[in-house]
Amino acid sequence: MSEEIKVTTKSPSENDLVQRNDKDIIQTEIVSGDNKKTHRKRVRMSLTHRRMIVGYVFILPWLIGFFMFYVRSVILAGRFSMSLMDMDANAGGYTLKFIGLENYIKAFREHATFKQVLTTSLTNMLVDVPLITFFSLFMAILLNKKFKGRAVFRAIFFLPIILNSGAISEMMALAQAMMNGGITPTASELSSSAGSGVLAFDIDYLISMFMNLGLPARFVNYLSSAVSRINEIISASGVQIIIFIAALQSIPGSMYEVAKIEGATGYETFWKVTFPMVMPHIITNVVYTIVDSFTDSAVVDLAHDTMFKTFNWGLGSAFTIISTIVTCAILGIVVFLLQKRTFYYN
Amino acid sequence: MAKKQLTPVERALQKNRLIKKREKRLNRSVAGNTLLFVIMAICGVFMVLPLVMIVNNALKPLDELYQFPPRIFVRNPTFENFSDLFTLMNDTWVPFSRYILNTIIITGGGMIGHVLCASLASYPLAKHEFPGKKILFAFVVMSMMFSWQVTQIPQYMIISWLGINNTYLALVLPLWAYGMGLYLMKQFMEQIPDSLMESARLDGANEWQIFWRIMMPNVKPAWLTLAIFQFQQAWGQTGGLFLRNEELKPLQYSLQQISAGGIARAGAAAAVTFVIAAVPITFFLICQSNILETMTTSGMKD
Repeated sequence: MSEEIKVTTKSPSENDLVQRNDKDIIQTEIVSGDNKKTHRKRVRMSLTHRRMIVGYVFILPWLIGFFMFYVRSVILAGRFSMSLMDMDANAGGYTLKFIGLENYIKAFREHATFKQVLTTSLTNMLVDVPLITFFSLFMAILLNKKFKGRAVFRAIFFLPIILNSGAISEMMALAQAMMNGGITPTASELSSSAGSGVLAFDIDYLISMFMNLGLPARFVNYLSSAVSRINEIISASGVQIIIFIAALQSIPGSMYEVAKIEGATGYETFWKVTFPMVMPHIITNVVYTIVDSFTDSAVVDLAHDTMFKTFNWGLGSAFTIISTIVTCAILGIVVFLLQKRTFYYN
Repeated sequence: MAKKQLTPVERALQKNRLIKKREKRLNRSVAGNTLLFVIMAICGVFMVLPLVMIVNNALKPLDELYQFPPRIFVRNPTFENFSDLFTLMNDTWVPFSRYILNTIIITGGGMIGHVLCASLASYPLAKHEFPGKKILFAFVVMSMMFSWQVTQIPQYMIISWLGINNTYLALVLPLWAYGMGLYLMKQFMEQIPDSLMESARLDGANEWQIFWRIMMPNVKPAWLTLAIFQFQQAWGQTGGLFLRNEELKPLQYSLQQISAGGIARAGAAAAVTFVIAAVPITFFLICQSNILETMTTSGMKD
């Protein structure tokens, strides 16, 4: 009801008549009897409000589960982080003693490695996100071209998603632990076999060469760390590639035709057509990448170890809450900055 | 300015030049394509390597598994590992088919429920306006940050509070409300033009029909992708935290038990890794053509 009035009051000069009509209707509703009022209401509410209600109905099944499992567990984690937890093995269950922000203070002032681990995983994340985003955009553009064996390549680039999943990586780690080096040494094996060949080169030499060229040390470090993590970057970009492929395919072909007719070069077409059109999905991917790299970062491991190895539930929960808040803040800033530059087609 | 008249010779020359230019461009694009192909091949090798390793390990006899320095490729391929695995499967505590049934229930239930709930919920989030939408969405993104490792204890408490501990539901239900699916589906549904829904409405479709007939077919690649994610996520669950009865435990659990048997089981463990990887990959290959090829425009160009 109120929404509709709002809509009309937005442009009072034009819709003066409509507005007055609206007011009249409200008045009649208030004045008139119960029966008529409900009738009126239903008719008038039908469009926006019924849609809204349908919307809530659609969300409901998911929302119930969400509140039940996730919101509750976040709240519980927040409660744990503010209390000292005592497990009573004999009686079963636990007791919570409220200690306020003590765990948080401890995390920052007393814990030996937390701050360091937090900063390193955040910097790693910030290093990886642009690399992964651009690598996956690049790969998606390549995979979107028509060439022989495209299906095979697309399948290959989807593989890491499957192979990185918990079960398989766990099994691989297990097998590796048992075989004492069955799977990880592939890299060293490759490099040792390459070492005898022409491909052998000294990375340190390259780094020192770049340094001598006068490039800033930070830049060289960024590059070398990116290169050394190329495998992680490639294997973390499977989902992003798929999202970008989908985005690229939803760009109308007529846009490219127009660009061609207007005489745009490939470079211009990319920056003026492709890039703006996939921009909303760049945000999607950035958010996904940040979340993805956060959930298996060192901070989460630290929190997990604090909880399950040293049994300090409160401190572990505090770690989780702090790192989540920091990451959310970063996420918010990044999305805000990107959204300002985004062009929405629809 | 008057246009300069070209003599026929000049015109022919110009034409010739144009043709040459085109040839040049063609050549460049061939070279470029080769370069791109090489780049992709290099990246592709990185991605395939683990898979190659898994397959080869599964075929390696025991002495090759322990060889140092290890090799990628198998020399004397054998199916011994698999026959070992089958023998081990035969003397498990409960019949092996029971584990398979459990896995089918958990994986299927988790996957279908998740895709359904997520797409239902993402439709209004993407296309309707209602109060609290933005806050809800922000909360969804935030909830994805809490990985299961750190919410294990609260999760357990909630599950036991609901009284679904030691049932399939304990594994299946949390998957239904996971935020990732909603996030991805919403992003894709937003791309569907409003005019498509508008015209469906004009034709008298209600919201339910719009959802099933317009939205879902148009975002088919998105929900198939989601199905694959969820499949492998549910497939990877061992259920160790919530399931106590042996008859309820999934395949994953028993396979891990088999492969955790120490050095003598290394061969079987390699075979197990192969099996665990093979099923999601097969599932992916079945859906693959649908995911990556049919992502078309939404049937409208406006």
